[in-house]
This record gives sequence, structure tokens and C-alpha cells, in this order.
Amino acid sequence: MTSSGTLEPSNPGSASSQVPSDASPPSPVGAVLVVGAGIAGIQSSLDLADSGFKVYLVENTPAIGGTMAQLDKTFPTNDCAMCIVSPKLVDCGRHPNIELITNAELAELTGTPGNFVVTVKKKPRYVDEDKCTGCGLCMENCPVTKAVYLDQEKVEVKLEPDDLKRMRSIIEEYKDKEGALLPALHDINISYSYLPEHVLRYVSEELDMPLSLVYQIATFYNAFSLKPRGEYTVKVCMGTACYIKGGNRILEAFERALGMKVGNTTEDLTFGLETISCFGCCGQAPVVVVNEDLHGHFRISQIPKLLRSYKEAGNVKTEA
Amino acid sequence: MKVYRTNVMLCTCTMCVSVGALAIRKRLEEEIKKQNLEDEIQVILTGSSWLCTRGPTLIVQPDDVVYQFLKEEDIPHLVEEHLLKGRPVKSLMYVHPETLYPIEKLHDVPFYRDQRLIALWNRGIIDPDQIDEYIARDGYKALAKVLKDMTPAEVVQEIADAGLRGRGGAGFPTGRKWEFCRSNPNTPKYLICNADEGDPGAFMDRSIIEADPHSLIEGMLIAAYAIGASKGYVYIRIEYPLAIKRLISATAQAREYGLLGEDIFGSGFDFDIEIFRGAGAFVCGEETSLIHSIEGRPAEPAQKPPFPVQRGVFGKPTVINNVETLTNLPRIINFGAEWFAAIGTEKSKGTKVFSLAGNINNAGLVEVPMGITLRRIVYDIGGGIPNGKEFKAVQTGGPSGGVIPKSLLDLPVDYERLQEAGAIMGSGGLIVMDEDSCMVDIAKYFIEFTKDESCGRCTSCREGLAAMHEILTNICEGRGKEGDIELLEELGEATKEASLCGLGKTAPNPVLSAVRHFRNEYVAHIRDKKCPAKVCKALIEYEVDKDKCTGCTLCARNCPSQAITGGKKKPHSIDRTKCIKCGVCIDVCKFDAILVTTGESP
Repeated sequence: MTSSGTLEPSNPGSASSQVPSDASPPSPVGAVLVVGAGIAGIQSSLDLADSGFKVYLVENTPAIGGTMAQLDKTFPTNDCAMCIVSPKLVDCGRHPNIELITNAELAELTGTPGNFVVTVKKKPRYVDEDKCTGCGLCMENCPVTKAVYLDQEKVEVKLEPDDLKRMRSIIEEYKDKEGALLPALHDINISYSYLPEHVLRYVSEELDMPLSLVYQIATFYNAFSLKPRGEYTVKVCMGTACYIKGGNRILEAFERALGMKVGNTTEDLTFGLETISCFGCCGQAPVVVVNEDLHGHFRISQIPKLLRSYKEAGNVKTEA
Repeated sequence: MKVYRTNVMLCTCTMCVSVGALAIRKRLEEEIKKQNLEDEIQVILTGSSWLCTRGPTLIVQPDDVVYQFLKEEDIPHLVEEHLLKGRPVKSLMYVHPETLYPIEKLHDVPFYRDQRLIALWNRGIIDPDQIDEYIARDGYKALAKVLKDMTPAEVVQEIADAGLRGRGGAGFPTGRKWEFCRSNPNTPKYLICNADEGDPGAFMDRSIIEADPHSLIEGMLIAAYAIGASKGYVYIRIEYPLAIKRLISATAQAREYGLLGEDIFGSGFDFDIEIFRGAGAFVCGEETSLIHSIEGRPAEPAQKPPFPVQRGVFGKPTVINNVETLTNLPRIINFGAEWFAAIGTEKSKGTKVFSLAGNINNAGLVEVPMGITLRRIVYDIGGGIPNGKEFKAVQTGGPSGGVIPKSLLDLPVDYERLQEAGAIMGSGGLIVMDEDSCMVDIAKYFIEFTKDESCGRCTSCREGLAAMHEILTNICEGRGKEGDIELLEELGEATKEASLCGLGKTAPNPVLSAVRHFRNEYVAHIRDKKCPAKVCKALIEYEVDKDKCTGCTLCARNCPSQAITGGKKKPHSIDRTKCIKCGVCIDVCKFDAILVTTGESP
């Protein structure tokens, strides 16, 4: 039912008038069904239609365009999304080889490649499609113009009295300040040594920020952890100077000694193991830091003694 | 003010504290008291005074004698001999690596002698917690000069004439950046000091702040006056607790003296500084990410233009300068643009602070004039490579920079020359590598770092670096194949081309420069499945040197996988099927009897 003759005359590839019809390659036959009229569906339909196929473009919503028509800019060029998509919408609507079936769903698909039978279910529009010209007058005159969206119910986040006492001073300091989230998270991190979920929910409510943003910031930075940290956090420096002096071997040795991979905490919450990109103590490389104590010129053979000293002596500080 | 006969300057930077400087301080004060010298001798705590690998260090002034590698038990002897009897203790002095003769005077030590101090003007001379000591060293004099005698335009011109360029890495002329901001009619304006020193292997910003926080504050005041800002931020890494503490104390003192706040020196100029703690994200060193981080938004970079001087923090014109750039300012104002412009090379003026680290005798902070050769930094100042090993390469600029091989050791160090060699000046990390460093492994290390730190916004950076990391891992683990090197180069160029911010644009540099200068090593890994530097685990074997092994059983007892066997006083042997190549045996062996081979010998 289709041939190269139905191509748009502007298509430089067609030039059907100059080429004798018997010399042209075998014409494409059959029809193609494209489901979904987003930017991908539209572009596929246009490409197929330009190469001579009949295209049925089925779309669930009443209009084609999809998500891209709702976007402001696109990555990576930051071009305006509508500038890209709107010419394609027009092309798609006007293309003689494309038949738009909007407000419809794919109901059934049977057959084999080359011989499909498709049932498409059209949803009711409650207008006579043959008579409607799309003038828009009915829309203007419809008395129901606004839908009411109720405010989402505010979630009350309750904290234990102890948490509340800790959090009050932090929130007081940063409330109504621009860029308050990161400093607030720092203070919570100092107070709890990690960021507990219920506290983050509380922060989100009190600072009036979406929880998703709080979560995004909390997981973006290496200094924060959403899991409880051990009493002693062993941080192995992975700066360049430490690395070439065997920092990764020290890390592996700690992993063996503590019986866990980096990024974890021992079950009794005594030790946590982390890496850090650089302490700026490259002169003492390789460096290991336990909480605030820095151990320079570290050797693998010191590990058992180091761990023992923290385990036994509680808060007694040691010099490496 | 009380005058003391002798001042004992004890370095209490993060590094010296890590090796026990605070215990030494306590002992010193006890011993001085014991000898009844407390009215004659004063102990002063300074920051980053000297060779950082040789800490704790101590300088006795005015004798100009320097002591290194101090231990608590050395102190009684030192106090009695030097401070009481006036006889310097030779056994604790710096020993020249070649002549093996102790050097008494600080200014005769080659490490110190060949440096030229501008940004580190007050290193190891003043107590960073005492504003009066800074003022005594002409502190805040430049600020007074600027506020009383110069218009903002004149200050901008002075800095432009001096030819100061950004010390954060890219080297943009500071005067020009300021002029863009100064002439912008939009207000208020902001000044940000970028102290988010994320490059692994760089520690000059930390040391400057720990040693001399007031230089930074004065520099910020001068910059703020020039651009018309009344609010400044210092964005500092959370990994530097001591620097943050000293900076907070310094700003409090400056506020008390009326040097920060409203109507400074009665000139009508207002300025205050807020200290903003970073949270361990490398990308925050990029200026647009840093701005987003301060605003409390996800710290992803933005497209430039608009540049921060047009639209910066909270949408207002913002100048972002590095710590070292700002600490240069008081000296430029005091001594004049001509004095500064006379130092350095044609396009790169002044000095640069480098943090020298890695396989080098004298690791530490060095400030040298631009245009000095790498050879002089590595051999004259750095004292060469330890243990008689061969120099292989020096890595500059951290994960954004590249490696410079031995053949380019006579390269004069300035912004342009380093770029030509495939590296960058960067913030100033200089990591020296000896023959035992594998160039594939180092490239893999940097790509792993940038892969983890990539914010994931640009596909090219997120996926390109992951793909490069996979190829490098394959090469290191003996699965490299022909064509990998070319693919790495292609991926690297594409990532550089297509990424938005400085992180992605520079992240492939370590690989590209390593491939350029050390292609043979890559070929050896891929074709011969050998790691010439004996680093890549999959391509090496451990074995015991039968002649050196005394059979002490230390290695066998410490081996985590019970791979070492052998009787007492008999040479041991390593079971290669059990060996996990962890390196514990090398670490514990006292006789250097464990050998690493490329797997050729049986």
C-alpha cells in the first residue's frame, strides 16, 4: 500500500521523478505500528515513514509529545526542549504516511513477525470526531475551569525527648538561613556520628525542605553515613603519597584483621573501617587515623597492637 | 611585653602532632621549669615550620638551630645541654644526605636555604593563635595602606601589574578576575576563599592556614575591598580539623581587634568572614559546585558562562580565590607590584608553594620562585630519593595533572611549561615516584579516584571514566589486550572533550600523560604480562631469598594465609598457591629476605 511515491517531495533521498520506476530497488511493503508517541516514538515514526512505511502511531494520552514537551532544557547541550520537539510534532501530524491514533491503548497483539494482527482500544472522547474541527470554543466556555488540589497532609515527625534536646539547638541556629542544610547535617553528624533517618525526617520538616533533597545532600558527601558508625572509626588514607607507600595494602590488612570489607562496622559497633582521599599529611605517609588520632609512618605489623589498644583501653590515646 | 633570652619554636602542625609534638611540649615545659629557666626561655607553638617527614621538629631562636625526629626522652638532655649550657646537641640535628655531617643552622639546610618565602612569610616564626605576633611581623599593615591610601581600582591595578595568577591550578590572572567583579553593578558581592583542597597529595592550604591564618584573613580583606564585597566565605575541608580550629580562633581575634566587622579602620568598609565546612566531595573544589554547596543545593557543577563573577553565590557576583593566592596579597601590597613581578618567569610571576611528598628524602612544604627546574626541587631541596633508588617520575596537579618523566627533569616549572609536558601546575602537589612505582597502577589509582568522585551529571565523565577504569584494571590483572592503549587514548580524549566541568575535562590527564611518557610499561603489561615495577599483584610473585633468610619464623607467624613454611633457623619458602601477596612478610622481615619478582624464576 505504500511506495516511494508517497514520500515528501522535500526529502532529498526520494527524487522519484528522475529515477525510472523499474530501476528503483524493491519498495518497502507492509505497515508498522509504533506504540508511544514520545520523542522516541515520534522520531522512529518519522524515520520509518520517510523510508516508505505506513506507520500507525498509538498514544495513550490525548496528545503526542510525551515528557520532552514538558521539559525546559535538555542535556547536555542545554537546548530548549520545545525547539527540538515541536517541528517533529508538526511533521508527525502532517505526514501522509503516519496515522495518529491518540487516546488509545494496545489491547491485543497476535501473529508472527511480518504478519501481526493488532487490536487497538480507543478511549471515548465524548465528541463526534468527524465533526470536531478542534476550534477550542468548547474549552473556553466550559464552566469547570479549575480543579482543586488539596495540600498534602503535613506529617508530624515526633522525636524522643533526648533527640529533641540535641536537635533544638541545631535547628534554632540554622532555621531561616540560606544554605543551612549542609552545616546542619555537619552538626548532626558530630552529635550522632552518623545521620539517623528519623532525625533527617525531622530536619526536612523543620527546615521546610523536601526529604528527597535532604537525602540527596546526605548521600552526596563522603563525610556522612546513614548507618551507625562504630565507636572507633579507622580511616585509611588513600592520598597519592600514601598509596605509593602501600596504603591499599594497609587497607587490605585492616579488612583481614577486622573481618569485613571497607565501609562496614563490626557487629559490636567497636570499629568502623573507611578510606579517605587525603588528610594532607603526606609527609608522614602512609597514614591511618582512628577517630581524631593520627598515626603516621604506619606499618602493617602495627595493626594488631593498634586495634588491641583501642579495644582494651577505651579512651586511652596511643602514639603510633 | 616580656622579653625572653631564647625562644623555642615547636612545630604543632597536624603532622607533627601525629608523631607526638604535644607530649614533647609538655616535657619541654617541665624540663625548663626544672632547670629554673622559665623566666629566660619561652616555648612557642608554630605551624608547619619545617620538614614534615622529620617531625617533631624544633627551632631554637635566635641561635637558629634546628632539631628533628625528637622523642620525649631526648628533651631533658636537650634542655640541659643547649638551653642551659649553650651547647647545641649534634645528634638531633639534620644530617646532610651525602656528606652525612650534621648541619647546625637552619638557614644552612639546603631544604630551607633554596626557598623563597612569600605566601609562607610567617611559617614557623609566629604562634598562629596570637594575633599580636602576626601584627609584629607587619601584619595588617597592607590592609591599612589599602584602606587609607588606595581606591579599589588602584588595588586591582596593583595586583594586575604584579602579574599574580590563581594558585588553585588554572592560573587565571587574579587582577582580571577582580576587575570583572568590581565593575559589575550588581550588589551585594561575595568573596569566597577556596580551601577545599581535595587533590590527594596536596597539603599547602592546610599548612598555610595552620601556620598563618591571619595572612589569609588579611588577604581576604584586601580582596574584598578591591572587589567591593562585604561578606566572605572560607570553604574548608572537614578533613582539616586543626586548620578549622585555628581559623575560627583567628577570625574571633580579628573581630575583637576590629579588623573584621563594620567600619574597619574607620574607613566605612565592612567585611566579615563565615567559615563553611565542606563534607568530603572532590567536585566541590570546582567553583560552580562549591557555590551550589554553599547555597545548600546538590553540589553539581553548572555550565560556564555565566561565570561566578557574573552570577555566583545566591545569584550575585562572586570572586573565588585560592588560599595561596590570597596569602600572597599582603606582601604584594607591602613591597609593591614591581618587586613581585621581578620574581618568576615571563608569564608566571612570583613563587609557588609545592607540597613535596612520596618517595623523597625531605617531604614537606616548599615555596620556590616560578621557573625553578624540577631537578632542583627534587634533588637540591628534596634531597633526592631515599634508599638509593632510581628517580622515575614526578606527578603534579593530582588527579587533574600528569606524570613528568626523568627526561624532563630540567623543565622550568611554570603554568605553560607544565601544560606542554602534559601535566598541570594544579594546586601544587608534587609526588615523587621511584623505580618501584608502576605507571599503570598509578593511572588506575587516579581514575578510580575521579570515577568515585564524579558527580555523575555528564555521561562522558560518568561512563568514560568507568570504562577507562575497567580497561586499566584488566591491564593490571593481566587481561590486557592489543588495542587497549589506543582505546584508552580515544576514551580519554572524548571524556576531556565532552565533559562540562574541570573534573571531567582533566580527569583523563594522568592516563594520557602516563601513556605518553611510559608507553613501554603499558606494552609490557599487555604483551608480556609483566609488571616491570613489581606492583601489580596478578603479575608478580613473592619468594624468599635463601641466602638472606635466617629462619627467624617471624614471617611465617605473621602470614595471614599460612603460605610460608620452614623450620627454625632454616631458610623458609613461600607456597605460591596460598600466597595472597599482601606484603605482610616484607613488612615484618628484618633481613630484607623477601623478594618480589615478575614471576620469571621458578
